[in-house]
Order: sequence, then C-alpha cells, then structure tokens
Amino acid sequence: MHDIYNFVSGPLVWASFIIFFAGCLYRLISMAVLARKKDVFVYEYMSFKFGLRSILHWITPFGTVKWRKNPFFTIVTFTFHICIIFIPIFLSAHIILWKESWGVSWWYISDTAADVLTIVAIASCIFFLVRRIVLPEVKYLTSISDYVILAIVAAPFITGFWTYHQWPGFRIMGILHIIAGETMLAAIPFTRLIHMIFFPFTRGYMGSEFGAVRHAKDW
Amino acid sequence: MEKRTLIIYTLIILLGCIFAVMSGYSQEDVTTVEDSAFEKKMRPGVPFLHDQHNEQAELDECNTCHHVYEDGKLVEYDSSEGQECSECHTINKGDNPISLVNIYHLQCKGCHQEKKAGPIMCSECHPR
Ligand code: HEC
Ligand code: HEC
Ligand code: HEC
Ligand code: HEC
Ligand code: HEM
Repeated sequence: MHDIYNFVSGPLVWASFIIFFAGCLYRLISMAVLARKKDVFVYEYMSFKFGLRSILHWITPFGTVKWRKNPFFTIVTFTFHICIIFIPIFLSAHIILWKESWGVSWWYISDTAADVLTIVAIASCIFFLVRRIVLPEVKYLTSISDYVILAIVAAPFITGFWTYHQWPGFRIMGILHIIAGETMLAAIPFTRLIHMIFFPFTRGYMGSEFGAVRHAKDW
Repeated sequence: MEKRTLIIYTLIILLGCIFAVMSGYSQEDVTTVEDSAFEKKMRPGVPFLHDQHNEQAELDECNTCHHVYEDGKLVEYDSSEGQECSECHTINKGDNPISLVNIYHLQCKGCHQEKKAGPIMCSECHPR
C-alpha cells in the first residue's frame, strides 16, 4: 500500500500537472497559429472591450437569452461549474496535502460545505447524463466520448466522497480517487474539457465580431 | 487460618493491587492524540496507543517525537514529554490551524513513509 500510495501521490501528481499545463499551453499556441493561418481577421477583430462585454454576460447566470430560456439547466450548469472549481481548490484535505508537500496553504471551506457541494456536483452529473439520454435533440448530438468525459468528471467526486465517509473499501477508493483526479486534470487539454481554457478566447472573439463588426449582441 | 488459605488470600489481594495500579496507569496512558489547541475539530481524535506504538515501532528515544530545539538545532539529550506539541508549535485562537495540523502530519506520516510501515492515508489515522 505504501508503494502504491507514494507512486500515485508523488510521480503521478507531477505527471498530471505537467500534462495539464504543457498540454493547455500547446493547445493554446497551436490554436493561435492555426487562427493566424486560416483567418488573419481573427486578430484584427479581437477587441478587449467587446470581448469582455460578451464574456461577462455569459458568466452571469441568466445574463444571456440562452440562459433565460432554460432556467433549470442554467442553474444546474452554474452550480456545477462552481463546484468543480471550488471543491478541488478549497477542500481542507487538499489544502492539508499542499501544505505537507509545498508548505503553502490558503482559505478552505468546511467539510460540511464540501459534502453539500459534492452531492450537488454528483447530482448535476446525473442530471447531465439523464438529459443526454432523454432529450432527443441532445441525444442526437451525443457520442460515446461525451459519456466518457462525464464519467471522468464525475469520478473524482464520487470516489472522494466515498473515501471521506469511509464506506467499505475506502482505502482502495482513496487510491482510485487520486488517480481519478489526475485523470481529469490530464484529460483537460485533450478533450472538450479544454473549453475551460478556450472559453475566454472563443467567447471573446464572438463578442468582438458581434460587437465591433456586426454591431449586435451575442447574448 | 490455614497456611494455604492465607497464601491464596494474599495472592488475591496482591493481584487486586496490581490490577488497580495497572488500570490506574492505563487510564493515564495516552490512547489518542487530541491537541487542545484545535478549537473546532474537523475529525475525531487520532487513536494512538502510545506505549504499544513505540514498542512496536521500536522507538526507544522519547525525543524522536518529544524533541527540544536550541538555536534551530535539535538537542540530542533533551526531551519535552508532557508538553503538548502546540505549546511550542503555537497557533493563535481563531487562526488557520493548518500549520499545527502539518507538524503532526510531518512527524507521524513522515516517519511512516520513511519506514514504509504504519498508516499514511487520512482515513487510516482519522477513523470516523
Ligand atoms: C511516536 C512519537 C512519540 C514517541 C517516540 C514518544 N511519545 Fe510520548 N507522546 C506522543 C504524542 C503524540 C503524545 C500526545 C500528545 C501530547 O500530549 O503531547 C504523547 C504524550 C506523552 C505523555 C502524556 C502527556 C499528557 O499530557 O498526558 C507522556 C508522559 C509521554 N508522551 C512520555 C513519553 C516518553 C517517556 C517517551 C519515551 C519513552 C515518549 N513519550 C515517546 C508521541 C510520542
Ligand atoms: C519544547 C518545544 C517543542 C515541542 C514540545 C515540540 N516541538 Fe516540534 N519543534 C520545535 C522547534 C523549536 C522546532 C524547529 C523550529 C522550526 O524549524 O520550525 C520544531 C520542529 C518540528 C518539526 C519540523 C518542522 C519542519 O517544518 O520541518 C516537526 C515536524 C515537529 N517539530 C513536530 C512536533 C510534534 C509532532 C510535537 C509533539 C509530539 C512537537 N513537535 C513538539 C519545538 C517543539
Ligand atoms: C519515528 C517513526 C514514527 C513516528 C514519529 C510515528 N510512527 Fe506510527 N508507526 C511507526 C512504525 C514503524 C509503525 C509500524 C509498526 C508495526 O506495526 O510494525 C507505526 C504504526 C502506527 C500505527 C498502526 C499501529 C497498529 O497497531 O497497527 C498507528 C495508528 C500509528 N503508527 C500512529 C502514529 C501517530 C498518530 C503518530 C504521530 C503522533 C505516529 N504514529 C508517529 C513509526 C512511527
Ligand atoms: C499518520 C497519521 C495521520 C495521517 C495519515 C493523517 N493525519 Fe491528520 N492528524 C494526525 C494527528 C496525530 C493529528 C492531531 C490530532 C489532534 O490533535 O486532534 C491530526 C490532525 C488533523 C486535523 C486537525 C484536527 C481536527 O480534527 O480538526 C485535520 C483536519 C487532519 N488531521 C486531517 C487529515 C487529512 C485530510 C489527512 C489526509 C490527507 C490526514 N489528516 C492524514 C494524524 C494523521
Ligand atoms: C490531484 C489529485 C487529487 C488528490 C491527491 C486528492 C486527494 C484527496 C484526499 C486525500 C481526500 C480526502 C479523503 C479523506 O478525507 O479521507 C480528497 C477528498 C475529496 N476530493 Fe480529492 N484529490 C485530488 C483531486 C480531486 C479533484 C480533481 C476533485 C474534483 C473535481 C476532487 C474532489 C474531492 C472530493 C469531492 C472529496 C471529498 C470531499 C467531501 O466529501 O467532504 N479531488 N481528495
């Protein structure tokens, strides 16, 4: 157990973070190069003001027509994204591990709050899954990879919750949890999860083109 | 009184005394680590059968854990047993307790990792 734990909580953590950062950087640069090659006007039209205006609308709950059309979906989407960013960064157990390895620590949420957010996150994943299966217009656009991504994202929450509550098999779950977290990080650059990095640019560009060129709103 | 009865009585009383002393001892024995500096505890105290642990782990020197430092250097022949870790590794009331948590983890988990024996995962030291 010591060897497995030390491996997944040592070299594998390094590997996943390096893959995450290097991968994201690579995707950003290759996208930037591609954009210059295919459409020089992307850079011409990019406008800080119009880009930011659009981004701010889209990250505000109910700030766009699409968000207002689908209130329930909007609420779930926003809470889910808050959970997935908040929990890994501000969970006390994670911070304790940062402190052990690097001597740094920061503000954290209570374990009770973490439990509630985790349940919300898992429930959101179930909602996304059911939506994909039930709604014909969504099902039509769904491929296997969408289910895989959903599983990759849900796994750290389920295994982490399991370990924390020390349900049977919690030692193995703890190891699986760490691997699941690392898998998610490493998968970000190479799957649709890259929208986390691309969002400011894609949205910023849409906003710029709609704002500066078409003099229209894109929200 | 017959000699045999006397011996038996004496033995019973003696055993009783030993038992009383022993149980008195084991009441004082450290069986959990529960530092008083943690105000709002996030987890239950950590089970730690002090003497049994140190025997099993073959820790003869008390100051392996109950250490004393002078000018930032470990003092070899001095020890600080009877003092809680938080008496030196202080945290202020209402402060973030992570620094105190950390010295426990560095010492306990650190040695377990070094020796590849003993618990290293949260759940192993912090049973619910
Ligand atoms: C593996 C680390 C470790 C070793 C080795 C160790 N102790 Fe301890 N000891 C602790 C911890 C942890 C506590 C509980 C926290 C505290 O009160 O400081 C404790 C508590 C005590 C206490 C009780 C203090 C109280 O308030 O009840 C005494 C007395 C003590 N130790 C004596 C010793 C002696 C004597 C030795 C050497 C034979 C020794 N310890 C070796 C870790 C250790
Ligand atoms: C008599 C005061 C005193 C007591 C009691 C004491 N320590 Fe320390 N400890 C020190 C000092 C001084 C240092 C060295 C200062 C430093 O490097 O931060 C130190 C250093 C440490 C370190 C290394 C810190 C690092 O950053 O590498 C650990 C781990 C540690 N102590 C754990 C414990 C534990 C666990 C206990 C209780 C069993 C304990 N100490 C009890 C004074 C004490
Ligand atoms: C200097 C080394 C060292 C330090 C410090 C140390 N341990 Fe250990 N511990 C061991 C070793 C070695 C074992 C494995 C003993 C065995 O079963 O062979 C062990 C085993 C244990 C076990 C399992 C005992 C069992 O019965 O299975 C627990 C629980 C434990 N340690 C708790 C702690 C806690 C809590 C601390 C900090 C207060 C601590 N240890 C500090 C070396 C250490
Ligand atoms: C080798 C044993 C060991 C391991 C492994 C360990 N801890 Fe601890 N931890 C301790 C000891 C000993 C204390 C001091 C307990 C006390 O004084 O109440 C402590 C204290 C804490 C505290 C502060 C006390 C409280 O209840 O608020 C927290 C929080 C904590 N640990 C969380 C964790 C987490 C999260 C992990 C896994 C990342 C972990 N611990 C792994 C031994 C361990
Ligand atoms: C980089 C790898 C990661 C490591 C090493 C790690 C480690 C841990 C540890 C040690 C625990 C505590 C278990 C316990 O208390 O017994 C935990 C809990 C948890 N982790 Fe992670 N984690 C990682 C990544 C992630 C990620 C990416 C997420 C979510 C996206 C996540 C979500 C959670 C959750 C939800 C819990 C349980 C919280 C609760 O129910 O209170 N972890 N993690």
